[in-house]
Amino acid sequence: MAELKPILLVEDNPKDIELTLAALDQCQLANTVVVTRDGAEALDYLHARGAHAGRNSGDPVVVLLDLKLPKIDGLEVLERIKSDPTLRHTPVVMLTSSREERDLVGSYRLGVNAFVVKPVAFSQFFEAIRDLGMFWAVLNEPPPGGASPVGPP
Amino acid sequence: MNGPPQRVRRERLDGGCDREPIHVPGSIQPFGTLLVIDPADGRVVQAACPPGSSVLAPGDPIGRPLGEALADGAGRELARLLERVPASGAGLLGLVRPGGIPHHVIGHRSDGMTVIELEPSGPDSSGTDRSGADPSGASGHGGFDEVHPHVRDFLDAVQKAASIDRLCALAAREVRRITGLDRVLIYRFDPAWNGEVIAEDRNDRLPSYLGLRFPAADIPAQARALYRLNRLRLIPDADYEAVPIRPAANPRTGRPLDLGLSVLRSVSPIHREYMRNMGTMASMSISLLREGGLWGLISCHNRTPARVPYQVRVACDVIGQVLSLQLAATETAAAAEHRNALRGVHGRLLAAMASAEHFVGGLAARPDDLLALTGASGAAVVTGGRVVRIGAAPAETDILKLVDRLAEGGRDDVFVTDRLADAMPGGEAIKDTASGVLAISISQLHDSYLLWFRPETIHTVTWGGDPRKVPSPDDPTRLSPRTSFEAWRETVRLTSPPWRSVEREAAAELRTAIVDIVLRKAEETAALSERLTSINKELEAFSYSVSHDLRAPFRHIVGYAELLKKFEGERLSERGVRYVDTIVESAVSAGKLVDDLLGFSQMGRAALAPVPVDMNALVAEVRRRLAPDLGERAIAWRIAALPPTRADPMMLRLAMQNLVENALKFTRGREPAVIEIFADQGPEETVYRVRDNGAGFDMAYVEKLFGVFQRLHRVEEFEGTGIGLANVKRIVERHGGRVWAEGSPDGGATFSFVLPDGHDTSGDRRWRS
Repeated sequence: MAELKPILLVEDNPKDIELTLAALDQCQLANTVVVTRDGAEALDYLHARGAHAGRNSGDPVVVLLDLKLPKIDGLEVLERIKSDPTLRHTPVVMLTSSREERDLVGSYRLGVNAFVVKPVAFSQFFEAIRDLGMFWAVLNEPPPGGASPVGPP
Repeated sequence: MNGPPQRVRRERLDGGCDREPIHVPGSIQPFGTLLVIDPADGRVVQAACPPGSSVLAPGDPIGRPLGEALADGAGRELARLLERVPASGAGLLGLVRPGGIPHHVIGHRSDGMTVIELEPSGPDSSGTDRSGADPSGASGHGGFDEVHPHVRDFLDAVQKAASIDRLCALAAREVRRITGLDRVLIYRFDPAWNGEVIAEDRNDRLPSYLGLRFPAADIPAQARALYRLNRLRLIPDADYEAVPIRPAANPRTGRPLDLGLSVLRSVSPIHREYMRNMGTMASMSISLLREGGLWGLISCHNRTPARVPYQVRVACDVIGQVLSLQLAATETAAAAEHRNALRGVHGRLLAAMASAEHFVGGLAARPDDLLALTGASGAAVVTGGRVVRIGAAPAETDILKLVDRLAEGGRDDVFVTDRLADAMPGGEAIKDTASGVLAISISQLHDSYLLWFRPETIHTVTWGGDPRKVPSPDDPTRLSPRTSFEAWRETVRLTSPPWRSVEREAAAELRTAIVDIVLRKAEETAALSERLTSINKELEAFSYSVSHDLRAPFRHIVGYAELLKKFEGERLSERGVRYVDTIVESAVSAGKLVDDLLGFSQMGRAALAPVPVDMNALVAEVRRRLAPDLGERAIAWRIAALPPTRADPMMLRLAMQNLVENALKFTRGREPAVIEIFADQGPEETVYRVRDNGAGFDMAYVEKLFGVFQRLHRVEEFEGTGIGLANVKRIVERHGGRVWAEGSPDGGATFSFVLPDGHDTSGDRRWRS
């Protein structure tokens, strides 16, 4: 197996970062996790530019994207990824506190691969992260140039 | 002497009494002498002098200078008085003594000429027997100092007279006292120019006319016009021999002389015949004017010929004017008082309308005030085809017919009649409630009216002679004045008391107020809806931010507590572990509260999309969704066939799910739990019910049941945030329905709801109470 692609986590809240990393850690995935703190930085990483110009790590296997982000918010990052021919096959999972229907509808219209409302109970959160990480990082190799894979519910 | 009388006759054949040119009779009455002077050269151009008079100097006066025209050189004195002739109207110039007899000189201008009339100032020598006349007033010069004693008493008394009737009675008595005539009437015109005798003072030589009504034809239009111009007329002897004016046409103007302002003017032969028919040989009348219009007359009669001297006539004129002023003041005061009272009524109606949701409700809430505003016994408000009846009003269908009729006639602001039978075909049928109608249009756009009604008031009018016996226009004898003054009673039907101008004004003012209120309400509604929209937006932004930001800390608490337990659990005591567990549990339930609250707020904001709903399918779906949570529980479902309804299917399903969840929760421990879902179909509405045999509740707390986060059980007994039933209530009420509950402790509970049937469900019926 070639070098594993990283998981890109886009999250501004340090507590959520720590909790998400702890959850991913328990999945015992071999993938590295790259953390970016806002939408602009995430796009810089994806395009290997700015602070991430000449990055060593490869393109992410999956993007775990928070909805509410400084500078460029999650929906806009999603829109840019899905409208960019070089990035649009990268799976994006929207992670959000919001139960608002309009966020859900907006995300699916923009082509999100999965939408996860962060549960309050940590055990559920852990299960969700684990399932997502396993699915996207291990099981699901995106078909080259093919249609977007279908995500878990 | 051939010209003018023929002219009169021709007029009579052409057009009748109304067109007789009574201001140019071509002759004078014989109680004085008339001279027409050309002011350019001071010479006499026309003259009329009764036979046997010694006023003029011997010989033909025509062409003579005025100074030489009178006997005994009195003309020189007269010529000096000429400068006193007023520019308009007639006035007393002074006294002259032709032939040694004092004469009042009265002058006026007519057609560029100066008209001089000389009237003996002493008591007449015609042998009349005026009783009670003041002899001392008969020899003076007619100045104010002579007139004043006559009117001083009257002026004093007038101040004390409270009512119009008293005032008129007082004036009649005073005029008779100073003139000594047999009968004095105060006569008042109605809007159709019929006259009614409202006060009388008389002796037994002439009959009483008090309370009688005289048809408009008795005093024709051109006579009324003349009465406005010249306030006082005198006919000392109806059987007089008219003295022609010579020459008939003025040589300078070529026209006959206009005697409109003359004292001596000869009257119409028709009028003299009328007087003879009435049995009165002498008459005097004084115009009562109000704001330039003729409202009545002081009409004096004597059975035998009688001449009232000039200065007494002046006193009578003053009395007439004082009476007019006083009457106007009294009426104005009465109207002002009435208007003031109505203003209070108006204010109360206004307040009621302003505080009511709809102005109609405000009016209906104050029926007594609404009727008092116009002195009506019934009223109705018609808006958008709806009728609200107040007091003694006609049936709804009759009111709608009436409104249609009003709309046909254009939307006048105020429509008024005291005889609906004349104004509308079929109006007679509703005479008992609506012989009189006062209606105001309260919308320019649709047929909205406020109407007041008055019932028929049958009353009798006593005419001075049968007014129907006025000759027909084709009758050649029509110019004969009527000969009978026998009182004739007419019963007036289909008529209500007339609407007074104050009442009409009050109605018009109310109309303005209603239009203002309706407009203001519309503006308020627009402003309110704008504000609601903005509040809704704020609320939406608020709950969006809550849903993101409030949940996160709870999530972090739970997350870190779990991590603490996982990595440091071994170092914690048993008690420490229990504390961590409690922290987790509390934060989880706080998170659930936030979620429930957000859900509840969404329920209030989401738009309704009502469609027909199959209730049986809906209940089946709810059961399917809940099945996984039921485990091994023994539940006896009793689901009846449910009629369909119309609702937002998502919301209604949520409501039903909440009710069923509720039933499942509170029947925990029952073996078996019995859950019944059924409907009671009534004639007006269908009640859907969910009944269980669970823990029930105390009816004392039923009000709390549907409140947000209200719980009737301890959380250890039954879990939950207390939002479920609040959601049910919100959903049902947003559909315009009702929800309620019945139960008893340990006796189970029944939750019932009704949804509107999908017909007219707007709350517009509210004000129809």
